[in-house]
Amino acid sequence: MKRLLLPLFAISSLLLTAAGTYGSARPRYGGTVRVLIHDKVASLDPLSDEDHPATRDRMAALTFETLTAVDAQGRLRPNLALSWHADQTKRVWQFRLRLVNFQDGTVLTAADVAASLSKSNPAWKCSAPDRQTVAIEAPGPIQHMAELIALPRYAIVKRETGDSGSAILIGTGSYKLSQWQPGERFQFTANEDYWGGRPFADNIEFQMGASLRDQLMDRQLGPYAATELSVDQIRTVEQNNQTVVTSRPSDLLALVFLQPETGGKPGKKPVDARIRTALGLAINKAAISNVLFQRRGAPASGLLPQWLTGYEFMLGSAMNLERAKELRADAAAYVVISPIALAYDFSDPLAKLVAERIAVDAREAGIIVQPYGESHINSKTARSSINADAVLLRLPLQSVDPASALSARIDDLGLFQESTSAILGAARPEDLFDIERKLLESNRVLPVAHVPQALWLNSNVHNWQQLVNGTWQLDQLWVEGAR
Amino acid sequence: MLKTALKLWFCALLMVALPAASAVQQEPSSNTVAVSEFVQSVLSRAASPSAVAVSFQNVSSLSPEAQEALQNAVLNGFRAANVKLVKAEQAVADVQITFSEDWQGYVWLANIQMGSSSQLVIKRLSHQQRAASSRAPTLTLRKISVWQQEAPILDFFQDNQNLLILEPDTLSLYASDSGQWRPRQTLGIPHQHSWPRDLRGRLEVHGSEINVFLPGARCTGKISPPALDCNASDDPWPIDPGQLVAFFSPRRNFFSGLLAGQDGGASVAPFFSGAAWRNGDQRFWLFTGTDGRARLFQNELATPVATMNGWGSTLAAVHSTCGSGWQILTSSPADTVRLDSVQAVEFTGHEALPVSAPIDFSGPVQALWTAGNYSQVVNGVQQSQTSGKYEAFTLTIVCNQ
Repeated sequence: MKRLLLPLFAISSLLLTAAGTYGSARPRYGGTVRVLIHDKVASLDPLSDEDHPATRDRMAALTFETLTAVDAQGRLRPNLALSWHADQTKRVWQFRLRLVNFQDGTVLTAADVAASLSKSNPAWKCSAPDRQTVAIEAPGPIQHMAELIALPRYAIVKRETGDSGSAILIGTGSYKLSQWQPGERFQFTANEDYWGGRPFADNIEFQMGASLRDQLMDRQLGPYAATELSVDQIRTVEQNNQTVVTSRPSDLLALVFLQPETGGKPGKKPVDARIRTALGLAINKAAISNVLFQRRGAPASGLLPQWLTGYEFMLGSAMNLERAKELRADAAAYVVISPIALAYDFSDPLAKLVAERIAVDAREAGIIVQPYGESHINSKTARSSINADAVLLRLPLQSVDPASALSARIDDLGLFQESTSAILGAARPEDLFDIERKLLESNRVLPVAHVPQALWLNSNVHNWQQLVNGTWQLDQLWVEGAR
Repeated sequence: MLKTALKLWFCALLMVALPAASAVQQEPSSNTVAVSEFVQSVLSRAASPSAVAVSFQNVSSLSPEAQEALQNAVLNGFRAANVKLVKAEQAVADVQITFSEDWQGYVWLANIQMGSSSQLVIKRLSHQQRAASSRAPTLTLRKISVWQQEAPILDFFQDNQNLLILEPDTLSLYASDSGQWRPRQTLGIPHQHSWPRDLRGRLEVHGSEINVFLPGARCTGKISPPALDCNASDDPWPIDPGQLVAFFSPRRNFFSGLLAGQDGGASVAPFFSGAAWRNGDQRFWLFTGTDGRARLFQNELATPVATMNGWGSTLAAVHSTCGSGWQILTSSPADTVRLDSVQAVEFTGHEALPVSAPIDFSGPVQALWTAGNYSQVVNGVQQSQTSGKYEAFTLTIVCNQ
């Protein structure tokens, strides 16, 4: 009996003491959660053309909700919509709404939802057959409409015009935007009348544009509940026994050629297809993942990661410097090969390292790549006016439904828009594979790596949920020390 | 001669089939229906070839043994469909099969090469849930699952004839019918304001009388005929039936600390959960405070005799024939989005000593309430992280030999 008790007590003493001073499981109400983020966001509008849309979406999700949601296990859940169904063609979908109020106290109606969705996707005909039902008529079949509509761009927003003519955006979410200084600070306050129950924390405050490196060096993270980490900072923080949560390698780092074969910018020639292919074969993706991303990333050959589809390994070709040299020589026989101007995100030190590494690899194949930093490469509008031949983009994984994720990636890339209807109509994974394979055949997009999202969490923060794709779910968030 | 040959053949078949079957059983992807469907899809896409060459690759976490078993099953699937397995140069179609996986399960891919054209078949399968681990116990906690459902469960009551499930907006009544619970009646719980998060509720049944306690609301009714009447109310909730009741914050998830009843009239720090028990002539109360500290009171509720850190916030007392006769079942100090466990402890003096191994749960334990005529049962509710479902369960103490 005594022998049995000893290990039991050891286990149990862990149970009773490991949690330290505080350790109860039941959430506490109150307190302000302060979050430090690197990117600067000017607007919370889910449809704004932001430099950092993924960061915008994380904050906007507190205020603006979608009809459906996907949970941490990838299961589809009702959100503002309680139920939904499609006609046989999967072209017309109907969503039955929950009885919910906007944050200004007005009732969410089907007409509000139809107006919001029409703005999100002008190709859809949205109507309100009755006060609680929204009908969406798409130009073609959409197999995964319920998953698609969980994307942040389909968040329901009531748009009004203020006295000064400024746009006022009203949502139904668990937090209201209470204070904001665009690009610097957003503060959200608990919505006392939220349909899902008042959230636990009184406030969530985002401090933007923080130099994380400086904060880490100065060990000034104490007042914060969470801060974003870049991949190269994870090890340092972990070595200090701090809590780090990382997503699966979900963001796509890809080299994107801006000029199409025909109909591009006047006076700007597209990079020859053989050179694009050669560059793809010359990049040492394994070295980038292992060294620059310290084995936290995964070499990419597809637009979607292997862990999401299970088929990425069948896409793309392995590094082949000899073949790259042959292609380069072949191209040189017909065209003048100019240096490739490669723009990367000026504010991302890792993007600079990757771009420089690509330039080194390209030189091995006889291709000149000239990397330089640009400040607005993530904005589609700003990108169209960039003078570079190619850009190094980091694209978030917006969904764990492969079809929705691929359509969102296409949208983020601003390329291959004609493929969207085929993606949304794809009924089988084989169809999606075929589409992705064809998209990559042109070599206008060269996948380089899939990179995880990382986050440092203060030990007093609870229920911070980071989903596999890096999305945050903060609806159950609470902090110790609150009342 | 024939008999001997048959015996040898049968032995050889067993030698091949048994380990393979065992490996197949261990691995979730390897079920015969899935294999059969996969092979049929390949044959259908390859226009039913008479002879195929098949090769395999594994880029998943399948063990080599499971992979071999799966390969054999697939090859047998082709043979069963009267397709000859031949070398590549003799084949109508060259089928390259890869066992891959995504974050939710296994993915089998077949790349079918026929001349210059190629086709791809993809089949997805879910990972099997891992069996929950268990540790060697001293006293043993016995968990019995009572009910599972998608909708949240706040509390429940069961006897031989009735099962009552308290949900945020309804009280569902079920009647026993040949060992099965059949729906009998659903009674609405109207409420003016939206419920607070981490909604809690308490259901008490005495005879046919129903009492429901919710934050800022109280319902009374009867099981037969089924009826429930709800009103806004700040009536205190029972902690130690007949002895101690406590006021619950109407828009929050905790008790305010104000106590009433025979033992009441006192005030303690706001708490999530409370338990009361006796040991001889000594009376004890334990409250898990919202500040993360558990406070033990002895004989009077004015000043705690011990304050402890690191406790889970949900607990309940249970009466048994083991040890001191009373144990406290407490949840683990984990977040509510993680896995949880419940463990029994006893107090020796003012010190809490674990007396059972923790029993693991697949999600957060959201409620523990003392139940039964002699407090010999604890009713609990958990939400599974894997299925998302809520489960009502009972916990009892079994004394070890």
